[in-house]
Amino acid sequence: MTQTQIGRRSAMGLAAGAGLAMAAGRKAKAADITLNIWTGYPELVPWYKAMGAEYTKAKGTQINILSTSLREHEQKLAAAVPTGTGPDVFDVGQILGITFIEAGLVKPNPAAVDGLLKSAAYRKSSAEQFTTDGKTYGLPMLFSTPAMFWNKAHFKEAGLDGPPKTFQQKMDYAKKLTKFDATGKMTRSGMSLRLSGQGSGIAEKFRFILEPAGGTLIVPNGKGKFHQGYDNDAGRAALKYYIDAVQIDKVDDPKVQHDAAAFVAGNTSMLMREAWVIGEIKEKAPNLDYGVAPIPAWGSGPHKTLLQHNGLWVNAKSKNIDAAYDFMLFISSKEASVKLTQLSGWVAARADVDWSPLLKDIPQYKEFVSPTDGVQFYPEPVMAAWNEIESRLADRLPGAYIDASLQDPAKLAAFIKAAAAQTDQILKQNDLYGT
Amino acid sequence: MAGDTGTLRRFFRRRRIILFCYVALLPVVALFFYVRIIPIGFSFLLSFYKWNLISPRRPFVGWDNYLGLLEDENFILALKNTSIYSFSTVALSTCIALPLAVFLSRKSRLSAFYQTIYFLPVITPMVPVSIAWKWIYDYNYGILNYGLSLVGLPSVAWLTEPSIALWALVIMGVWKVLGYNMVLFLVGIRNIPAEYLEAASIDGASDWQRFWRITLPLLRPILLYVIVTSTINAFNVFTQVYVMTLGSQSAPGQAVRMLVFDIYTNGFQFFRMGYASAEAVILTLIVLGLTVIQFTLARDKEAKPR
Repeated sequence: MTQTQIGRRSAMGLAAGAGLAMAAGRKAKAADITLNIWTGYPELVPWYKAMGAEYTKAKGTQINILSTSLREHEQKLAAAVPTGTGPDVFDVGQILGITFIEAGLVKPNPAAVDGLLKSAAYRKSSAEQFTTDGKTYGLPMLFSTPAMFWNKAHFKEAGLDGPPKTFQQKMDYAKKLTKFDATGKMTRSGMSLRLSGQGSGIAEKFRFILEPAGGTLIVPNGKGKFHQGYDNDAGRAALKYYIDAVQIDKVDDPKVQHDAAAFVAGNTSMLMREAWVIGEIKEKAPNLDYGVAPIPAWGSGPHKTLLQHNGLWVNAKSKNIDAAYDFMLFISSKEASVKLTQLSGWVAARADVDWSPLLKDIPQYKEFVSPTDGVQFYPEPVMAAWNEIESRLADRLPGAYIDASLQDPAKLAAFIKAAAAQTDQILKQNDLYGT
Repeated sequence: MAGDTGTLRRFFRRRRIILFCYVALLPVVALFFYVRIIPIGFSFLLSFYKWNLISPRRPFVGWDNYLGLLEDENFILALKNTSIYSFSTVALSTCIALPLAVFLSRKSRLSAFYQTIYFLPVITPMVPVSIAWKWIYDYNYGILNYGLSLVGLPSVAWLTEPSIALWALVIMGVWKVLGYNMVLFLVGIRNIPAEYLEAASIDGASDWQRFWRITLPLLRPILLYVIVTSTINAFNVFTQVYVMTLGSQSAPGQAVRMLVFDIYTNGFQFFRMGYASAEAVILTLIVLGLTVIQFTLARDKEAKPR
């Protein structure tokens, strides 16, 4: 009953909004409006500010931007949006976005936004990710895929002429690239894996190898339910790859520097990461000689890479909902998309952008803005429980990577079985389990 | 009759003073009720619901959240780690702070200087302190391993080795709270009448006998306060755990998983507010239980000599 009322009200609101948007004299009214924008990506602030200034100049609407760290941003949104004290427009990943949609705090897109999302401006995979029960919600803002950064100077020094094509080759190359000091202490890792810390990122990086190997964390059953998909050869092979890298082949070590910081400092030769690392290199090590290649394949399998979107959403409780949608469209233009990548290092989600000026300046962006033909994307499942599924697996993995007993295949299999059972358990708790 | 009237007047006058006290206290009590009691009550209530903070739906689940905790590996691990951390931090910080306070209570020109040095960590905010300690513990560039290398000892993976990471947090926890405990003991020691110690000296008591027979028994209320507040603070450890596990070059989450961190994860990362509330209720009961035990033990010891 309540849902019907809300639906009617929102439909009327949207119709009124569409009418208002077309009405003359809107610019004069817009001058009295101030839109509050919240972002969880501090590196996007220069872009938001530039866009805000342009929008104010064009429409008169004032733009306020609030930026916090991503986790803090998510918590603020969770507390503020339901209580009507949130922003007019916010950016957030779909995992939280779907929770707002389910709670009715983000409404289906008005016709103009819906039409843009369904047009050739966006990839089909992007549009699908922002569609729930046949209706579109929000707009994709960031198109985030990892690729493999490789240090050309290190490769040349080791007599290697190009990036590895398969994970098996990657391990062989890494053995040649790793360096130790006289005491046997690793001074440069051949490849930088995510081996320590906490949080979903550890499992996300585990998927960089699991998915090409043929596994996946959860498998849909086609009826809206899921079950684990890694208590199999692929899951065991992916974990063995990590254990071999740390314990057998010793091409990485939890004790050495990791991630983008290590690549920028020349303390690792290969790193699988997203486009923002280019910005880090440009700022901190502009003379670093590096290339970007697709994530290696598993044997003769296809190249696969994770696809994550970060979206722009309009708060259903916004008092300026029409202006909010208008601003969302304004910052989703082709021109705004190029600026987004230039100013932040992140890749904009629009597919119809001419990236040639950017590529002429920084050719390493190519793998991110127009990935190599044949690279398959595996998207981030859009479900509220996803963070918990990844985080719980992530709790277990750092211990496993350094556990010598897991060199025994039976114990390794038992570890994977237990982790996968926990994944199924989380799905059951969320009424999402089905075979 | 006149006597009765006087008694009655005195009674009302006394009542008026009491009433005034209650009225004067009312704003503070109301504020305390609003910012402390209501949230605690709401958390207790919420622990019987399943709620993601965002959705308007909030189904009642009875004791399910509590039963779930009994089977939750992370909760049990967090409980174990928090207990080890708390008992170690409280025991070490108390045992080091007390002799330090005795030492610094002696009249010395450098006493004030040392007190300031030991108290500095207490007033330094936890986030920058934790980031600094993360660097101190760094395997490759940390000053601690550099110090070890100067005396020919091998480097230690303070944060990334799971069996060491928890103790690294204990060391930092003791460092942070030591100065506070020391100052409290110092105040207690300085309040002990000098005649007692002088009399004992005249009777031929050694330094140790004076400490054991006079100083320590008279410090018992302070000791109780230090242990109770340190235990409560230690069980609520969060910031340093959050910072030390952040990023790729940090402690493995499971090695240093603590109760408040687990509550935070369930509440604000997985948005399982009911479940996190159940955990918070259990944490409150544990701390409350330990406080009652500590008070009871202290009262028993006070009662025995009588």
